[in-house]
Amino acid sequence: MSATAPSRQLILDRISAATQDAAKDAAGRAAAYAALPRGYARRGLLNKEERVELMIERLREYDAEVVESLPTELPAAIEARLATSGRRKFVVPTGVPAEWGAFGFDWKLDHGLITAEVEQAEGVVTAATCGIADSGTIVLHHTAAEGRRILTLLPDWHLCILLASQVVETLPEYFDRCKQPPALVTWISGPSATADIEMTRIKGVHGPRFLHVILVRDESSAETYRSAAHTELRPEKSGSARIR
Amino acid sequence: MSLSAASHAELDPRLAAPFPKAVLPVLRNPQLRKNVAHAIDVIQAKRGKLVAEKRDWQELRTAASAIRAHALENLGAYLEQFEERCTAAGGTVHWAADAEEARKIILDLLRQQQATEVIKIKTMTSAEIQLNPCLQAAGVDVFETDLAEIILQLGDLEPSHIVVPALHVNRSQVREIFARRMGLKNLSDDPKELTNAARAFLRQKFLSIPTAISGANFLIAETGSVAVVESEGNGRMCLTLPRTMITLAGIEKVLPRFQDMEVMLQLLARSATGERMNPYTSLWTGVTEGDGPQSFHVVLLDNGRSSILGKEKQRQTLKCIRCAACMNTCPVYRQTGGHAYGSVYPGPIGAILTPQLMQMKHAQSLPFASSLCGACYEVCPVKINIPEVLLELRSQVVDQERKQAGRIFDPMYLGLRIANLIFAGAWRFHAAQWFGRMGLKLWTRKDGWIHSLPGVGGKWTQTRDLRGLPDQTFHQWWAKRAAQSRQEGK
Repeated sequence: MSATAPSRQLILDRISAATQDAAKDAAGRAAAYAALPRGYARRGLLNKEERVELMIERLREYDAEVVESLPTELPAAIEARLATSGRRKFVVPTGVPAEWGAFGFDWKLDHGLITAEVEQAEGVVTAATCGIADSGTIVLHHTAAEGRRILTLLPDWHLCILLASQVVETLPEYFDRCKQPPALVTWISGPSATADIEMTRIKGVHGPRFLHVILVRDESSAETYRSAAHTELRPEKSGSARIR
Repeated sequence: MSLSAASHAELDPRLAAPFPKAVLPVLRNPQLRKNVAHAIDVIQAKRGKLVAEKRDWQELRTAASAIRAHALENLGAYLEQFEERCTAAGGTVHWAADAEEARKIILDLLRQQQATEVIKIKTMTSAEIQLNPCLQAAGVDVFETDLAEIILQLGDLEPSHIVVPALHVNRSQVREIFARRMGLKNLSDDPKELTNAARAFLRQKFLSIPTAISGANFLIAETGSVAVVESEGNGRMCLTLPRTMITLAGIEKVLPRFQDMEVMLQLLARSATGERMNPYTSLWTGVTEGDGPQSFHVVLLDNGRSSILGKEKQRQTLKCIRCAACMNTCPVYRQTGGHAYGSVYPGPIGAILTPQLMQMKHAQSLPFASSLCGACYEVCPVKINIPEVLLELRSQVVDQERKQAGRIFDPMYLGLRIANLIFAGAWRFHAAQWFGRMGLKLWTRKDGWIHSLPGVGGKWTQTRDLRGLPDQTFHQWWAKRAAQSRQEGK
């Protein structure tokens, strides 16, 4: 903007006068950056099974509801979740696999829905890019299967399909998986919350108030999985006791 | 919904009372002190637990400190890189040398959009430049969307903390404000019901107001991205639904690369709210077709920051990532709450930031509003040595005061000059000691204690006794002892 151009130069001149001690060229800067201390943990300590269990435990601490499923049972698991949600109208990003389709529900694909249409939806079903077990975080890069940002924002109920192979233990492991920095990211750690009134944690302010996760055991052996139907019977017990 | 100008004077460093005076109403308000102490105790307990479980906490701090210092050393280059990448991604970058210019840029943008209403994500930087009163005066209705900010805005109150700005307001006070301003007579003081009232109040605003203003937690030079860290989802609403997004960010907010977030995100939520991760963190890059605002502006604000950058000991102030751990741990803040600091930035970080952002004369009591216990330095996730900066600022205040005309008539100044003279020479010092001892002898009782002194000294003996001075000084005793042993040696 032409009007602010003088200020741009003014500020940059002030900064360069104030930082004469710094590396002047790009190469020097890159070398200084490469030499920064990075002594923190990059890799986690858990094995595959423990990592997934920790992810589930952390999600449950945030009041997210988690069930597990095998890849072959996923459509049935999705249908079961939708059926027990007490909701009928769902939106879905265009990129979700066709076999997820749950019949008997108002299942609207997001071909550029207007805001009011998304607002009217009672729930949304999406994929995810990554799960970070250490903090119970689900990462969305808003790809075709994860949908535009509005989709996972306005509907009050979010069902997220997370693959076990997408779960990492530490935050740095997630960044290692990002080959290119993504343009859009939403890190979700439990449903929206506030503690602004007397530090009392209240679930659900503006984002979805209900977060459901189906953890798909896409890489575990047959013996270790617990199917969705099995978990359904005892939703509170699985997961949390095992890790300690 | 206008905010009275009078209430803003409280947190305008140019108008606020000095700390020792501003603190008095708080110290006399037990309800306020109770609210503050309760909130801080809750956050501190959670923080302590989660920091303890992190085995690489110190390594993370070291890395964060180094990344932030590196970003500041190379600030010009990283800002230009940010500008280039953000512009390439469809954003527009503006530069504001001071608060007035930032307000003007934002107001001009709003006028271009013909905006009469705007929704806002909580941003301390906008409070720093007093954006809301300016927009209101220009006929733009401002709707804060963070729950704490709504409480403050509707209640016509001032923020007292940078992360939980309404921590000094309790649930019954919130109920009263909401009932009155939202017209909800049957509202209870249950935090859940109050939160739902705010949700309903704002939902229509989110869906209908096409312009939003945010701050930024981080600017990423490598990609031109902006990141906002929040809990409630009001941020995501403002970032996603409107057609136009205006982000106001201090120039110091820049990080070299996307990957640097891996350090900051591990430290920030744990330090700020005692969570492993805050519920929502959003990152966006310019404009994304079909997703979110199609017009995006970043206003980079200097407003005194570049002058801090040039001062060696003080530069570290700019490493701050606004987590508020320093105020949560500060024994002074715990007693006083935030308002006494007379600035939107309270607590230890405010005590060093405010005097540097403003001319010192507007906030010269702040560097003294600390016991220098160092707790703030210990918890700081980016290792800002706040006590060191406090001492540096104190010396500047004293240097400035020394130059003032009329200073020689100040009793404190006079006393210190005389002390300086006495301490400078051995015979003057010994003479003064002798006079002092003789003088104090008059008030020393038989039990060897002084129970009351006249004049200024009486203030001391009002609440405690003073031991009388011994017959000889250590110096005299030592000299005598040496003389004796010499004699015996012969």
